[in-house]
Amino acid sequence: MEKKDIIQSVKDSLFTGIIALALFGPIVGLRTASKGEGLFITPQWGLVFILVGLCILGRFLINLNSARKTEFTFFSKFTSKLSSVTEEKAKHLAITAILFAVVFPFLPFTDRYFMDVAIMILTYIMLGWGLNIVVGLAGLLDLGYVAFYAVGAYSYALIATTFGWSFWICLPLAGIFAAFFGILLGFPVLRLRGDYLAIVTLGFGEIIRIVLINWYEVTNGPDGITGIPRPSFFGLPFKRSPDEGEASFHTFFNLEYSTMHRIIFLYYLILVLALITNYFTLKIRKLPVGRAWEALREDEIACKSLGVNPTNTKLTAFAIGAMFGGFAGSFFATRQAFISPESFTFIESAIIVAIVVLGGMGSQTGVVLASIFLIGITEMFRDLEQFRMIAFGGAMVLIMVFKPKGILANRKPTILMHGDKK
Amino acid sequence: MSNLLSVENLTMQFGGLTAIDNLSFDAKNNEITSIIGPNGAGKTTVFNCLTGFYKPTNGQMFLHKDEGKISLRKYTDFKIAHVAKVARTFQNIRLFPAMSVLENLLVAQHNELMVASGYSLFGLLNLKSYRDKEQLAVDKARYWLDIIGLTNRADDNAGDLPYGDQRKLEIVRAMCIEPKLLCLDEPAAGLNPKESAELNKLLKFIKTEKKTGILLIEHDMSVVMGISDHVVVLNYGKKIFEGTADQTKTSKEVIEAYLGVDE
Repeated sequence: MEKKDIIQSVKDSLFTGIIALALFGPIVGLRTASKGEGLFITPQWGLVFILVGLCILGRFLINLNSARKTEFTFFSKFTSKLSSVTEEKAKHLAITAILFAVVFPFLPFTDRYFMDVAIMILTYIMLGWGLNIVVGLAGLLDLGYVAFYAVGAYSYALIATTFGWSFWICLPLAGIFAAFFGILLGFPVLRLRGDYLAIVTLGFGEIIRIVLINWYEVTNGPDGITGIPRPSFFGLPFKRSPDEGEASFHTFFNLEYSTMHRIIFLYYLILVLALITNYFTLKIRKLPVGRAWEALREDEIACKSLGVNPTNTKLTAFAIGAMFGGFAGSFFATRQAFISPESFTFIESAIIVAIVVLGGMGSQTGVVLASIFLIGITEMFRDLEQFRMIAFGGAMVLIMVFKPKGILANRKPTILMHGDKK
Repeated sequence: MSNLLSVENLTMQFGGLTAIDNLSFDAKNNEITSIIGPNGAGKTTVFNCLTGFYKPTNGQMFLHKDEGKISLRKYTDFKIAHVAKVARTFQNIRLFPAMSVLENLLVAQHNELMVASGYSLFGLLNLKSYRDKEQLAVDKARYWLDIIGLTNRADDNAGDLPYGDQRKLEIVRAMCIEPKLLCLDEPAAGLNPKESAELNKLLKFIKTEKKTGILLIEHDMSVVMGISDHVVVLNYGKKIFEGTADQTKTSKEVIEAYLGVDE
């Protein structure tokens, strides 16, 4: 490395330091605190200097690296290895991952907190897989996916609390309702693409949330719906003291009562739901309708010239994507036993879209990796409280810098003429 | 030879601009009909009217099929290809670049495969009836790929093919819908002489073996004069000449339109 390069990178790093100082100075440096009467400013210059120093050092290291013309290899190597594995190996990997997911609840280090995080990650994986149909395959940028999540959750909650039907009846109904809303949204936006579609779907997500807040008679408004029935293990409830003449899960299997039973059951429930979503998507991608979705993403005019009906194709994508969102919503409702419109804000849509895009559009494995990475990192920094969203943003930036096309951005053809030789 | 397509008094106006003015011509079965003319003469607009992308201001277009004549005006959008069986290619290639060559040809057979897959239900159940139909579709794709010599690249992305191969692929993709009429919008644009000659061969093959009528817009006169059975010349949206290739070469009107009038 030449002397000129070093001077250049030092200059560049110092410039980064100035920007960092301008940002961190007011944001971190001047902390407001209320003491007695009035608001006072407590300066925190030490912290500012540490942060600015970190920025300068980081920038300098990046410069050194790029000057040496070698990439940050670990991350890229890992993902490019993942994307170049053969079909055979991919199968082995997938089976290993599923086996790990199955034994996860019984591993020695797994506690309640780990289970909760795992359930959350799986919920996002399922939502990501559902949205992948709409965004990844059909290429319709949907920023209001949370609306279908909300429709699923509310229809499950309302049906279950009103009619007292079991989870297994309400789940498909909630999915059907969500799919219906998917079509409802699909019709007006048929002619839109790209940015315009994104704006309208974003609006749709907000409309659903605002309706949920204001339709007090049905949705109980901002107070939400409480007492949503918990799922039962094939009719056996997870209760400490079952009603007279009724068996509960732990008495039936002669186990010590533990709240973990329900958590583990919920974990397996979302695992199965997510795997169904994945299996369905992998299958339908290889069917004519799946190929038509991808063709529509590539070129809508060419599709029309070949006699592919764009209306039906788009509506099925919206409906099926929404249906899986609805399933995930019902799971969310039964897990929380309480839902309110607050759970379905735009940030949820944004996280799901981020997972799909950063995972690599259309890649099922990419969604898994992105969910674990984004949600996992955010959880790891939970102690930082309000600053943990910085970790979320940081994780996104990392992916964007090192893998601008998404973690796994390769696409395998849905059908091969010459077999999987290469 | 019987008529395949009759265009009667076709007029297309965009606001005050008349792109096509009272145009009438016929195209016959098993013939290659070329539409030529200087830039802006309205050639592509004729195609867009025929293939349902524009709704003509006035006039009629009839396609003569075995079961009788149908009016193309009644069909819009994707139904032109699906029901009326009129296929087209585009001036700027419109393949599905991120999909494989084989997938491109299978999307062209979407409607038959959709029925065969029971609108996805049989396909999800992986029934044998669907798998057989899919195999037939792959065989058809292989047939066409053999003809244009791209069989060994079937699993590569269409966007990775050389330009000339992409042109040919777009044509055979259109042929996969088994059209009665194939409309080609400047298929020779950007091709070198060798590739143009291959294109001529392919078009002649489609005409004679597949009994498909071809409507061709082209600037490359070696293609037009080499294979056209019938030439229609447009200028400013009006038909100024119609005849065989040889007649066109010597027509005073055509030379004037291309080279200008001697004052």
